[in-house]
Amino acid sequence: MRALKIAATGMSAQQMRVEVISNNLANMSTTAYNTRRAEFSDLHYQQLQRPGSINASDGTVVPTGVQLGLGVKPSSVSVHLSQGSLTETNGDLDLAIEGPGYLEVTMPDGAPAYTRDGGLKRSAEGQIVTSEGFPIAPDIAIPDDARSISINADGEIYAYFTDQVEAELLGQFTLVGFSNARGLEALGGNLFRETEASGPGNVAAPGTDGLGTLRQGYLENSSVDAVREVTELIEAQRGYELNAKVITAADQMMASTSQIR
Amino acid sequence: MDNATYASLTRQSGLRTEMQVIAHNIANSATTGFQKEGLIFSEVISAHEDADTSLSMATANARMIDRSQGQMTNTGGLFDLALEGDGYFMVQTPEGNQLTRSGVFYPDANGFLSATDGSPVLDEGQAPIFVPPGVRDISIGRDGSISANGQPVGRIGVFEPVNPELMGRAGGVRLTLDGDAVPIQDTGMVQGFLESSNVDPVLEVARMIEVQRAYERGRDLMSKEDERIRGVIQTLGQ
Repeated sequence: MRALKIAATGMSAQQMRVEVISNNLANMSTTAYNTRRAEFSDLHYQQLQRPGSINASDGTVVPTGVQLGLGVKPSSVSVHLSQGSLTETNGDLDLAIEGPGYLEVTMPDGAPAYTRDGGLKRSAEGQIVTSEGFPIAPDIAIPDDARSISINADGEIYAYFTDQVEAELLGQFTLVGFSNARGLEALGGNLFRETEASGPGNVAAPGTDGLGTLRQGYLENSSVDAVREVTELIEAQRGYELNAKVITAADQMMASTSQIR
Repeated sequence: MDNATYASLTRQSGLRTEMQVIAHNIANSATTGFQKEGLIFSEVISAHEDADTSLSMATANARMIDRSQGQMTNTGGLFDLALEGDGYFMVQTPEGNQLTRSGVFYPDANGFLSATDGSPVLDEGQAPIFVPPGVRDISIGRDGSISANGQPVGRIGVFEPVNPELMGRAGGVRLTLDGDAVPIQDTGMVQGFLESSNVDPVLEVARMIEVQRAYERGRDLMSKEDERIRGVIQTLGQ
């Protein structure tokens, strides 16, 4: 009874959908989190009767044939790149990226990673780091005696000192753009890594090359839409139940087969 | 002499096949762009020349694809496209061009618009579509024309197969083509939406119950037939 196994593929697909939804809901307040959605595709088809096969000696061909599907499989979990709304935090190292682009982070092993989480901090050495302490590339250090700092839309970072009227330019943030940002591999901790699918990163100043601009004192909210997630959750749950019903029905059919004698 | 059993046996195995189709439809009730599969049973008649009675058996010998419109789901994805009306998107695969109604696309690493498995999506002239990377403002019109920052960059084709009844299933929500497909114009494309599977769960469950009951009836008939023959043998033996 293949119906049993087909319904089992359906159940595991719906289960995966619930898992993706619960991850979205769990990340409702994660800075710059983008909604993910599970995509499914149908499985291989079994040919019972090939279309176009000859049916009779006079050359009549079977017009459509019989193909039986074998269920469903997850095809991808796609990331929905959309701009989240901005929350004012007034933190002088809180940056929201308006538009596409990622900040480059140097991981402890020296490899680059990318993030849209602009909740940056200052390390003990004055370096600008992420919440987890990984330095942002290019390396920018803030002098200890800086009274305040200001970052403009183009990513230029200025420091103000008590004994100086003019602000001092410390450096400029860069953003990295990808031709297929959905192809980035998520590492957790709001970090992403470049892959074959994403293509190489294109480093440029904010506001150039189609990249977004920076906004100081704001953070990007998670783009999860709770209402949409909950409706999806209801759908997934009902889908799961339906597939379970098929299993019951297939089971009863098998039981009734054994009752023939 | 056991014709009743044999006739109902063909029906029983047909019902199991039908159950498989229903299970496949229900399993794919969340598959974007999936079109429901149907099975058509027909009679196979075997008549003996001398006999004045004929015996008909059922066999599944044709299938059909339910091409009705699925529901639209708003996803807000830039390259998520739903078709409103007939027709299919065409994608290039190593097995030749295939059709699909699942509009989950994105530009690949080289900037070509592609489906989730990396197969390029084709325009009206059956050529891949290049979307300039790093463009913020992409809009896709109802007719499938893509504009990047207001500049037209290509037009996604909508195709209708010349022989829709010859389409096969390929897995991955793809339909294989037998013969050519021609571009059509009347079908609208909606950006930011995806077409849900057109499987109607209520209908499928109703069909499932029907199949299950028919299967049980067939079983009863076989049991009765078994008892009848046993009765005949007993009576004749006395």
